[in-house]
Amino acid sequence: MTQHVTEKDVRDIATYTRIALSDEELPQMTKDLNDIIDSLKPITEYDLEGVEPTFHPIGSLSNVMREDVETASFSQEEALSNAPKQQDGYFLIPAILGGGDQ
Amino acid sequence: MANFATMSVREIQAGLAGKQFSAREVAEDALARIAAVDPQIHAFLEVTEEAAYEQARTVDEAIAEGRLAEMGPLAGVPVAFKDNMNMKGTHTTCSSRMLENYVSPYTATCVAKTIEAGGIPLGKLNMDEFAFGSSTETSAFGITRNPWDLERVPGGSSGGSAAAVAAGLATVTLGSDTGGSIRQPGSFCGIVAVKPAYGTVSRYGVVAFGSSLDQVGPFARSVEDAALALNALAGHDPLDCTSQQLGVDYTANLAEGVAGMKVGIVPAFMQAEGLDGEVRAKVEEAAAKLESLGAELVEVDLPNAQAAMSAYYVLGPCEAFSNLARFDSVRYGYCAEGHKDLGGQYEESRHEGFGPEARRRIMLGSYLLSAGVYDKYYYPAQQVRTLITQDYRRAYESVDVILAPVSPRTAFKFGEISDPTTMYLSDMFTISINIAGNGGMNMPVGLGAESGMPVGVQLIAPQFKDENMLRVAAALETVYGPAPVAPQFAVER
Repeated sequence: MTQHVTEKDVRDIATYTRIALSDEELPQMTKDLNDIIDSLKPITEYDLEGVEPTFHPIGSLSNVMREDVETASFSQEEALSNAPKQQDGYFLIPAILGGGDQ
Repeated sequence: MANFATMSVREIQAGLAGKQFSAREVAEDALARIAAVDPQIHAFLEVTEEAAYEQARTVDEAIAEGRLAEMGPLAGVPVAFKDNMNMKGTHTTCSSRMLENYVSPYTATCVAKTIEAGGIPLGKLNMDEFAFGSSTETSAFGITRNPWDLERVPGGSSGGSAAAVAAGLATVTLGSDTGGSIRQPGSFCGIVAVKPAYGTVSRYGVVAFGSSLDQVGPFARSVEDAALALNALAGHDPLDCTSQQLGVDYTANLAEGVAGMKVGIVPAFMQAEGLDGEVRAKVEEAAAKLESLGAELVEVDLPNAQAAMSAYYVLGPCEAFSNLARFDSVRYGYCAEGHKDLGGQYEESRHEGFGPEARRRIMLGSYLLSAGVYDKYYYPAQQVRTLITQDYRRAYESVDVILAPVSPRTAFKFGEISDPTTMYLSDMFTISINIAGNGGMNMPVGLGAESGMPVGVQLIAPQFKDENMLRVAAALETVYGPAPVAPQFAVER
């Protein structure tokens, strides 16, 4: 079994994906990811010289545009209807500038 | 109780047309059956009683005005939806704590089309969290039991959709399939389960998992019911630019039989390590039946199929990582309380909101797309997609359909498979079809000799020729009969 990612790598990935992994969860996640990445080995062993990639099963699509016309959309109330926190018709988040309270 | 939800589309519509019962009675009875039976199965996460009665009223008005025939192919039919499909005013949880309190402000195209076609919406169905799984065990809201054996899983990720139809709680349900999530639970629960070709059905309003792989399709107990549902679902939607206007009537050639059709058999699939003997025997039996009905069996080779597994577990997590970045605890979804900084709120919300498998796939996708790693896995996986697609094209130069196993084994017991990489093998025969974008379906062919559990065969069509697989399935149905309601929940009529 090759070690593809270390616990430190997994900690960095957790930070990047914005998932607060606990210290207790770190070893198991590291093991699981190494196991899965190991199982992906065949993909690294293929002779793919000169093979074009296919990013999508329907190859002929590109930049599908619609007519530039106004259509019905959510009201402000509907758009905010699932917001965990809101204030004065805005999504509310903790302060991101300065050190002030919300 | 009349148990209307155990009837076929035609039976229900004949009763409605003959005024033997009303759509209101169908709705009332179907809701009562859910209340009586579903506590043993737990297919439903939410029952939409009000929407069911409202739709029943619409159908009954149409009948009173002599417009039943204009109502659409699913008029008066009890239907239900996988819980990753938005239906305005219902919870759409994806079986995740992340979306536990989310209420849909809009309706997915596939749901809207089912209701426009006359379907009576009964509710929303359990699934693996965000469709990550093959057993429905990763749902944050409890397991769903297989109606054929309550100690076994219904498969996944569309486990609730399959179990509801197998237990006769709905006539048609919808599921979604990214790597086998319609076909495998269809096989485990012994019902007809269709994953149409990528692009056949709009995904607008269906919570995205792997956007280059996801497709919506129907579950039913007969091929005709599935074809009628597909007629209602298919078509171009400006809100999903991959959706195609194919203009096919999927019921048109069901009675034509298979005489003269060429059915491909992939020797490497039949000899695959890990394929259980009882499943292999059933696939061979189905092939022999098709031959006796006049089809010609032709061996075809898919030389790159064994690369599909690793390509899928690269592409799927990469796309999932990207799609699940939207859950930010700000606009909708779970928000961890008490954080004074936005970063902390993001991280704790995503940690508490996502279950272990979702976290694993997000982190795996992030790793695979990182600088230096991308060229080792992601780009080659897209090249492998080219090879797999070419394999299928070449195979369909000599055959009209391919016959294969769906799952390497019948339904397993709860907790029997806990290791993620072993669980991933459940999809070994289904994922290459998603990678190529073809349609594939499960057709039940009776019970396994050892397990006594349902076995299905997979029929795989050339791209945008799903009518081919439905035609072959209909021929198998003349031999094996339509899928029964699981014995424990069957009703005498």
